[in-house]
Amino acid sequence: MTISSKLSTDGKQIVIAIDERFDFSLHQQFRDAYSSVTTKDLTYILDLRQTQYMDSSALGMILLLKDHVQLYAGQLIISKPSDTVRKILEIAQFQRLMTIE
Amino acid sequence: MPKNQKLALVVDDSKMQCKLLSVLLQEENYQVVVANDGASGVEMYIKHQPDLVLMDINMPIMDGFEATRRIKKLSGIGNLAPLIFITSMDNEQAFIDSVEAGGDSILVRPFSPKVFKAKIKAIQRISDLVEQVKGLQQEQQNDAELAEKMMSDVIEARNFALDKIGVIKKAATIFSGDIHLSAQRPNGDIHILLGDFTGHGLRSSIGAIPVTETFRAMTKKGFSILDIVAQLNRQMHTLLPGDLFFAASFACISEHEKSVYVFNAGLPDGYLFNEEADIKRQFSSTHPPLGILPELLSDVQLDAVQVNKGDRLVFITDGIVEARNEAGELFDFARFERAAIEGIAKKDLVNSVLASLDDFCQHCEQEDDISLVDVPCSGWQQVEFSNKVTIPEGFTEEDNYFTREQKGLPTWCYHLHLTGKLLKTVNPIPLVMSQINDLEGAGEHWQSLYTILTELFVNALDHGVLELNSSLKDSAEGFSQYFNERAKRLDKLAQGEMNASENFVRISLKYFPLSHGGKMIINIKDSGSGFDIVNVLKDNSHAMVDGVQLSGRGVELVNQLCDTLEYEEQGTLVTASYIWHG
Repeated sequence: MTISSKLSTDGKQIVIAIDERFDFSLHQQFRDAYSSVTTKDLTYILDLRQTQYMDSSALGMILLLKDHVQLYAGQLIISKPSDTVRKILEIAQFQRLMTIE
Repeated sequence: MPKNQKLALVVDDSKMQCKLLSVLLQEENYQVVVANDGASGVEMYIKHQPDLVLMDINMPIMDGFEATRRIKKLSGIGNLAPLIFITSMDNEQAFIDSVEAGGDSILVRPFSPKVFKAKIKAIQRISDLVEQVKGLQQEQQNDAELAEKMMSDVIEARNFALDKIGVIKKAATIFSGDIHLSAQRPNGDIHILLGDFTGHGLRSSIGAIPVTETFRAMTKKGFSILDIVAQLNRQMHTLLPGDLFFAASFACISEHEKSVYVFNAGLPDGYLFNEEADIKRQFSSTHPPLGILPELLSDVQLDAVQVNKGDRLVFITDGIVEARNEAGELFDFARFERAAIEGIAKKDLVNSVLASLDDFCQHCEQEDDISLVDVPCSGWQQVEFSNKVTIPEGFTEEDNYFTREQKGLPTWCYHLHLTGKLLKTVNPIPLVMSQINDLEGAGEHWQSLYTILTELFVNALDHGVLELNSSLKDSAEGFSQYFNERAKRLDKLAQGEMNASENFVRISLKYFPLSHGGKMIINIKDSGSGFDIVNVLKDNSHAMVDGVQLSGRGVELVNQLCDTLEYEEQGTLVTASYIWHG
């Protein structure tokens, strides 16, 4: 399983964790990880600590997730990207669109 | 023969078996051809290109395994004709060998006609699926080729000054939507764009045509690079689906200002190299790619840099720095910079980078488009300005050419009074030029007028309303300081910290047609406290000798283009007249 998504026990937080490669091949899996979640005011954590490679379609997928999060008045946090991935996020200036920690 | 009737090849040394299988196949609506040994089986295969092959194992001359190997080699990537071994050898090894040889299935005698027919149906179903996949693949390939052809032939071939701009464009196995554009503004400035759409294939090219049209049309009308970026962003936001966007770098190269303006939204760093191949400046991405946000971020700003002769601007897409070698390492920035620097020394940046990339990647598959543009910052041909002192043939005194006062009334007047915030957000010159084009038609002769209006308006705004001192621009450091300060004061103006309604620039035009051409009287008034234009001009005449002065070039240029140029009211009102000959 290259994507896992887990709801925290208090039900306030959902963690979506991605494996080593985050690219177009994960499109459907990634969408499935959140599309059925319609609870309001959730915090979505996109955990990228394992991810070594990310392409531009992954950036696009993150934007779709962001649209979903906004629709349900939640919050999106990108968590612990590796240096390579952080660089890609910076080039796209995603820190101006969402929280990266 | 109906077109959907399929052809089967039966290879068996027993004529009895051949007969039996043929009958069964015919009942399944196959046409049948027969061979009695492996070698003639291969020949028949070549001759008839059947849709299905039934193969015995033990045969004279060439056995079924060898014949199968040859047939499978022949069919290669072409048609997949499923091949079924028919045998009485009911052991594991026969099964393994037949699959090794390339057989798609095996059927062990004895079998009933029903089982045989079911087997044929199953294998035909798989082969139909493979056909279908192949068809889809071909379609996708055609789409990708179409997209690529559209990019290179239709879009990029119409770029400006292709001979002066070095370009690397290596499309990935699946085309991925890189695009480069160049166009010239009416005042001679060069606009450059290098962009990268997300995604692969045709999907990634849907934005290419609107981007190209907007970029060319707005550049031609004289809009600034920031105006164009803002418009492209809006357009891409409406047009592209949520997960598609457009990362791009933009530059405006102004030869007469000896400066470049750069904006990077989502591409890797751009570079400015000098003639000695030092990196003078890097331009990092300062904005998310276009198409994500409905409007540009409010703090968006161009990077303004002073350039010298021999400087060159280089933009790249991520395909270069993310290219991988066999060991999975990235090409990365350090290798790129080294190759670029070596290339500049050899006066061939493009080939140096290409060679270095090839050397690094060897035969690894290229995952993403690789693009680079290498643009010189000087040596652009100046726009031909019509010469104001040449009197065209057939010109008569009645045109009142040398008389300052016009006898008649102007055929039209145009006034534009911009205040406060609008001074920051609106570039009035394209508006004015479009009015002129609507009223008097388009023409080459308006290029000079465009330059005059731009220079005079910018002077009125910068030195008049914003009270910036142009001597700041004398040094290279001051130059960027000047632009920072300018941006800051414009923000204040927009936020109403400076008294909005009292700050204005007013542009007035009056047009007088002449029998061979026309005359435009331009009035620009600003709300500033004025500046000493005489000193500016005097400074410039010294500067011309030294060739070092960076500021005040605008006024000098306008002076050359106009018939007359006068500053009044302490420099807050300028009147210029421009005559063109039809």
